[in-house]
Amino acid sequence: MQKSALKQIVGIAPLPEKVMDRIELVRNADANHILGQMASANTSDVSDRLHDIFRNALLRAGHDHIMLQFEINRLEHALSGTGIEPVVLKGGAYVARGKKAAGGRRVSDLDILVAEDELEEVETRLKEAGWSPDEATDNEYDQAYYREHMHELPPLRHAKRGTIIDVHHRLLPKTARSNVDVALMQQSAMRIAENPVRTFDDVDMFVHSAVHVFADGAIDTPARSLVELYLLYIELSSDDALRLKTRAKAVGAIKAVSTALWAIDEFFDEDNALALSNEALAEKPNFILRWAIATKTLERPSAPLAKLLLYIRSHYLRMPLRLLVPHLARKAVAWRPTTKKPIELPFP
Amino acid sequence: MSAPSNVASYDRRDLRAALRNGSFTLHLGPFSHLVSGASEPLLDFLSDTYRDYSVELTPSDVTDVLLRLEAPNILRRFIRRQITPNPGFKVPAVPLPLSMSPLAFEMGLNLSVALKCCRFINVHAGVVADKDGAIVMSAASGGGKSTLTAALLQHGYRLFSDEFALLGLDQPLLHPYPRPISLKQETIPVVRDMVGDNWISKVVTGTPKGDIAYYRARASDLAQDKTSAKAKLVLFPKFEKGVRPIARQLNPAEAIMRLVPASTNYSLLGEPAFHAITGLLKNIRAYEITYGSTIDSLRLVEQITDQKLV
Repeated sequence: MQKSALKQIVGIAPLPEKVMDRIELVRNADANHILGQMASANTSDVSDRLHDIFRNALLRAGHDHIMLQFEINRLEHALSGTGIEPVVLKGGAYVARGKKAAGGRRVSDLDILVAEDELEEVETRLKEAGWSPDEATDNEYDQAYYREHMHELPPLRHAKRGTIIDVHHRLLPKTARSNVDVALMQQSAMRIAENPVRTFDDVDMFVHSAVHVFADGAIDTPARSLVELYLLYIELSSDDALRLKTRAKAVGAIKAVSTALWAIDEFFDEDNALALSNEALAEKPNFILRWAIATKTLERPSAPLAKLLLYIRSHYLRMPLRLLVPHLARKAVAWRPTTKKPIELPFP
Repeated sequence: MSAPSNVASYDRRDLRAALRNGSFTLHLGPFSHLVSGASEPLLDFLSDTYRDYSVELTPSDVTDVLLRLEAPNILRRFIRRQITPNPGFKVPAVPLPLSMSPLAFEMGLNLSVALKCCRFINVHAGVVADKDGAIVMSAASGGGKSTLTAALLQHGYRLFSDEFALLGLDQPLLHPYPRPISLKQETIPVVRDMVGDNWISKVVTGTPKGDIAYYRARASDLAQDKTSAKAKLVLFPKFEKGVRPIARQLNPAEAIMRLVPASTNYSLLGEPAFHAITGLLKNIRAYEITYGSTIDSLRLVEQITDQKLV
């Protein structure tokens, strides 16, 4: 994906004039799962045909959003009377709060955060309400691994609806090199209307998104992640933007947040973000990390090397070597080619 | 940029170059399709079965469908050449020998329309229409839908589609998408006898679905590919050898419950899809018809529509 393409997708650069370039942009946005975001951001200067294509993407996202709202409703129902007030994370939160980042966004799973001592009750309640361990991770090793080392329960899938819920008690694995102060973030989460379900406030939403992208995992969907961060960032009030630095410091996410701010400037030319990033940072994200992020996102010829570095980094961040080596060995032994389930079509 | 013109009006060399560059653009009904991947079997197929279809060699706008016909791996580009349709999302397509390119092309377009174009409710059904409205025919594979569709075309009906009933989300109108009619196995000789050899493509033999041939859409049907219609009748045809012809009227609820699982995107679209399908069935009748021969099926349609066909 070209840098100009990212800007066109979020609507801050005009769409390409040449038809073949436009087609390539749409193809690219679709392949990176941000066609819906592109559709929400680009509402003027759209031909009838492009409007049709955008409509397809928005209809799909619309379905996801309705599904998600219903899942939130079912979650409230399952937890009613317990006094537990889960925090809905990521896509679910954006949809529930009507954030710009939700516009056209596809959402598949519901991610929630609860206190660690509430986990047991939440799991019991969800199981009573029809969720059960997802087949993919319903084995002794995975179940034990999640519970012992991860930041979430093994995924639960609803038997009838097939939807997945991830119950988190932290934002990063227990074994991560540095962890964020999740209790502090939970304290300032706010209820959605009168419901017991909560979300982070705007600042913490940005902080969590940054942590998710830059402190966990190998940045596997760079275009989608950057668009999300950008859309969250531009919706911050100027007070919120100023509060970012102190908040990120307080919860221990300063590195991830400044990397996110750097990236927002780098890919979307948001000068304010860079100023904030420079100010926030004792140390800039190092050259190699910046190179790897840019190279992977822009799919430059050296992307494979960048991917490898980010992959190694993700494991370095996630777990100490004494866990990593047996874990990878175990995964390598247990590895089986994934069977492709054919899509069921009602025609021959 | 050139104005769309029919396939027959282009030089084969230009068609080949456009397919190679990925700039070959097929316009049909509400959709436009950008196709890449040149092969001689595909060019043969296009210049025969698609001769009257409207095509541009450079697209004038973005397109609904982006289909790449490509080799499954680099080896298969050169040795015992194979081809798979790539519509831009993961599909469970088996690689086919290059000679089956027409099938890969048709499959690729079907998958794209079925799974991607959700601004219409997509029901797997044949649709034909006359001046009074459209007949929607929904059947399981082997139910004789294609044969009945072909037969009705010989009796004053125009082709909407043999595969997709495209139902508008805002208004319960059916939109034509007259792709060639795909004929399988024993239906090939039946339809060949009915319409004449001239209208049937070369048979692709030994495909995963057996023998397949295509019945070309008529230029007159293609000329009306933007004219939508209201439904006048819904049929659930069932071909059974040697059976006595019978028509059983279904109540609207039963008809709806049968159309819903035949849709590729009903559950995705939800409420508007429900309203559109109930709207489609408003004030019209639905029948399950069982028959053992084409002539019987036409007689049943005659009885139901009170219209002289044969």
